[in-house]
Amino acid sequence: MKRGALILILGVVLGLCAYCGFYFAGTASRRALLESETPELEWLKREFRLADSAFDRVVRLHDAYKSECAEMCRRIDARNQELKELLAKADQVTPEIESKLAEAGQLRLQCQKNMLRHFLEVSRNMPPDQGKRYLAWVQEKTFLPEHKMHGKGTASVTSDEHRHK
Amino acid sequence: MKPSDPIDKNDSLGRALQQWTVDAALPPRFHDDVWRRIRLTEARPAPSWWRDLLDVVEGALCRPALAVSYVTILLLAGLSIGFAQARQESARMDKALGARYVQSVDPYQAPRHP
Repeated sequence: MKRGALILILGVVLGLCAYCGFYFAGTASRRALLESETPELEWLKREFRLADSAFDRVVRLHDAYKSECAEMCRRIDARNQELKELLAKADQVTPEIESKLAEAGQLRLQCQKNMLRHFLEVSRNMPPDQGKRYLAWVQEKTFLPEHKMHGKGTASVTSDEHRHK
Repeated sequence: MKPSDPIDKNDSLGRALQQWTVDAALPPRFHDDVWRRIRLTEARPAPSWWRDLLDVVEGALCRPALAVSYVTILLLAGLSIGFAQARQESARMDKALGARYVQSVDPYQAPRHP
């Protein structure tokens, strides 16, 4: 093979190796997170720079909250199913539907109170500046959907789908 | 006016050429070989632009300064594109993991399995 052709191929191969090396090195930490047992908590540790001791406390809080959260999910699903059945039969707002909507509202309120209590507790177990940052972030993602609808750049794909035209 | 014949200008050379006879026999299949060569020449593909380009590039890369520049540019391009894409992908994964955390704590955003 001619020398020029060899250099041509060598340049392309070196360029590809450099690309792959930097890409895999640059994404290695995230891929390691994804392979861990609880990627979302490992991400939390990394994102809010938690020390091991603080992270252990946050994990314990998270585990305790999870059972509460699962129970809440079950109640929400049951309530949604009841409401769905009522709405399927109704052609106007009946007292029964009103009552179920009120119950759903109460459930949402209860759920939000539980969440807020958990978020505050988690934030108290973080370094103060990171705790404030965590609270601001998690509240925006859970309690402030209106903000997401009009916010620029922070809206997720899901909120984009529900954005009012 | 009739153009002058160059042979007429040199009488002795002209006479010698007119008297010259070739006695040697032609090699076997001489005519066939001549026609075969003509056919081969006509069948040869015309030089294409990419072949010319390749020749130019190969010629250029034989010069050390150009070869080093070419390899360096490709190396730097690979590094910078790899770095930029890694940052982009990391940001995407961060966003996905953040959403996953929110789903794990918010019953209204938790994925439902029908």
